[in-house]
Amino acid sequence: MSKESRMRATVNQKLTEMGERERLKELLRAKLTECGWKDQMKAHCKEVIKDKGLEHVTVEDLLVEITPKGRALVPDSVKKELLHRIRAFLAQHAT
Amino acid sequence: MKMEDMPLSGPDNTRLEALVHDIYSELVEDACLGLCFEVHRAVKQGCFFLDETDQESMKEFEIVDQPGVDIFGQVYNQWKNKECECPNCKRLIAASRFAPHLEKCLGMGRNSSRIANRRLASNNNMSKSESDQEDNDDLNDNDWSYGAEKKAKKRKSDKNQNSPRRSKSLKHKNGELGSSVGSEPYKYNYNPGISYETLGPDEVRSLLTTQCGVISEHTKKMCTRSQRCPQHTDEQRRAVRVFLLGPSAPSLPDGDPVGESNIFDIPDGQTLMGRLQWEDSPDISPTDSASSKASTNHSDSRRPKKKKTPSLGLNSGGGGGGGGGGGGSLSGGSSSSQSNISLPTKKKRPKLSAPSITSIYDDLN
Repeated sequence: MSKESRMRATVNQKLTEMGERERLKELLRAKLTECGWKDQMKAHCKEVIKDKGLEHVTVEDLLVEITPKGRALVPDSVKKELLHRIRAFLAQHAT
Repeated sequence: MKMEDMPLSGPDNTRLEALVHDIYSELVEDACLGLCFEVHRAVKQGCFFLDETDQESMKEFEIVDQPGVDIFGQVYNQWKNKECECPNCKRLIAASRFAPHLEKCLGMGRNSSRIANRRLASNNNMSKSESDQEDNDDLNDNDWSYGAEKKAKKRKSDKNQNSPRRSKSLKHKNGELGSSVGSEPYKYNYNPGISYETLGPDEVRSLLTTQCGVISEHTKKMCTRSQRCPQHTDEQRRAVRVFLLGPSAPSLPDGDPVGESNIFDIPDGQTLMGRLQWEDSPDISPTDSASSKASTNHSDSRRPKKKKTPSLGLNSGGGGGGGGGGGGSLSGGSSSSQSNISLPTKKKRPKLSAPSITSIYDDLN
């Protein structure tokens, strides 16, 4: 297990150090905006805020409401592309 | 989840896949967190709900999707048939023509100064009675050529009514006989041409000796360019001289067109010199006759000859002193003398004329 956790730590470190993590983040954000995921999520946020009241909304509240729906709403094509890129990175740089 | 083909062993592969998915999940959660921050900040700053004011306003400005109406609900060609009153001239103008009309009416805009200058020029040329305010206004709106045509039509009718006497009286009004172009600057300065109606026979004659004189179709003015001006052919110049000097000439002292059938107009020495310049062009006779319009009373007789005479005129000038001497005298009384002289010169002319003209003389003789 520790070996695995060490491997994970190494991989994460590599991801960050080589800037791949940032690149992947930007890529994901762009793709999600493009496909309308962001607008959908914003509409959902509006509903949550209207429920909870404008004054008392916190970040955690939003996060809790948003994340599950967000994960589910990511289009398959975006998901596939990201997974592909991650695998490629690992294949290239993993031990 | 798809299992990709990997060269690794099963458990490794699984672990790798799990790792990949973990990384993916992290990325997605990061994106969600970023969005939450953005929304929360907008809410706290009060700019999150800006595009939704209240239900009434939302309904009022909803996008309209009906036929015949644009998305604001306005009929788009509503003002097509409306008329607007011009604040300047108080006329009712069609809406689509309103802006160009204003441009001209107020004297602003790019073309208004040009049109105003043209109008001034043409007004100077015409007598005051002919141009009234209404015409000027119409010129404002329409093409200048249209306005000029209107004036031209009027001028033409005027000329037919009382041409010889009228031009004569105007001639006296203007003063000296045979006044050159320069003597009447107020008339001619801005004009691309001259209005032949207002000129007396002497003036026309003198003009035609030096200038092209062809009358433009739409402005009804005589061309002020030289006699070799490229815009007009010699045929046109001859026709103009026939037109101007022929019918407008008063009763000829010689009187008899038949008798003078052999007589060619002997132009001024000035005219002759002008004609001499034209030696290349065969059809110059009309100008000759035109130039001697004031003196010639045989305008009628000249007309048929004029077509044949351009070279004759030249020949007379070039051919011999006889012709030149005859040409030198412009007075009407000298027509007979001219005619006498012209006869001998006539004989000389064929020598100098172009082959085509010699054939004409053959026909005459």
